[in-house]
Amino acid sequence: MKKPLIFVLSLLLTGSLFSQTIGDTVISNNAKNLKLTVLYFHITNRCNTCTTIETLVRKTIFENFKTEVDSGIINVSIINCELPENKVISEKYDAYGATLAITFINGAKEKTEDLSNWAFQKVHKEDIFISELKNKITELLK
Amino acid sequence: MKHFLKIFLFGICFLTFTACNNQNQKEQKGATDSISSAENTMIDSTVVNKTDSVSEIKTSSNQTSSSQATAKKMNIAVYYFHGANRCVSCIAIEEVTKKTLNTYYKKELSEGIIDFKTIDIEESKNKAISEKYQVFGSSLFVTKILNGSETKTDLTGDGFKYAKNKEEKFIEILRKTITDYLK
Repeated sequence: MKKPLIFVLSLLLTGSLFSQTIGDTVISNNAKNLKLTVLYFHITNRCNTCTTIETLVRKTIFENFKTEVDSGIINVSIINCELPENKVISEKYDAYGATLAITFINGAKEKTEDLSNWAFQKVHKEDIFISELKNKITELLK
Repeated sequence: MKHFLKIFLFGICFLTFTACNNQNQKEQKGATDSISSAENTMIDSTVVNKTDSVSEIKTSSNQTSSSQATAKKMNIAVYYFHGANRCVSCIAIEEVTKKTLNTYYKKELSEGIIDFKTIDIEESKNKAISEKYQVFGSSLFVTKILNGSETKTDLTGDGFKYAKNKEEKFIEILRKTITDYLK
């Protein structure tokens, strides 16, 4: 009886050591490993295009960078910029509507690239969207 | 008799002189007419060039009016594309774009320098323009058209990012794009 319980607890503990999911957001628990944060901001009333961008971002990350997410190298944050609790982070990233940003972290330094215009241009071409975002992230992780 | 001969010779000389003088005057008048004609042609040509930019320009003085006419060929297309189901951001982009144009570019709109269109991409009549711009959903393009060549700026991302909750920032970006193209 005790063995399965220990097994389940161990699994939960192991999982939480690497990453945890709160609502839409995947948060790294290993700040030492963190190199890249992918942030997608949206408003409360979302259109099809906005939702599709999120879907493609998730697809790109979880199909190509699952190991990096699990080990805390990549963070993925999906944030409603209209909620008061997200005001500070939304203002930090200049996000007042649908906004896709990638932040590269090197020690104390952060460099953010805004991919919103790119995302809206490529959202209707799924293959190109995934391929270009994948290349961009791979390049930043080198 | 001698007097008669003198008067006759004097008369012939006078007539000859007068005839020559008339001829000179005619020649001078002819020359004057040519200049006037040339001037008229140039003026007419200039008017034509100002009114009809397709006309060919041959004289150097007309080349100035040619460049003026060419400069007048430049215009800016502001096209907002949307589908049938529109979200709040999509509607906000259209509204803020219209507001910006009506506030800051009323003159250019009335003179036809700026052309604004809201285009429903789901209507069959808009298929060609939607394909040209490669749009599949809500999109905002500012296009500079100069001498037949087009330079496009896609402001869709900025629109979705700012139009609803940070209107002033979107207006600033849109104004900068249009004003840079108008230079």
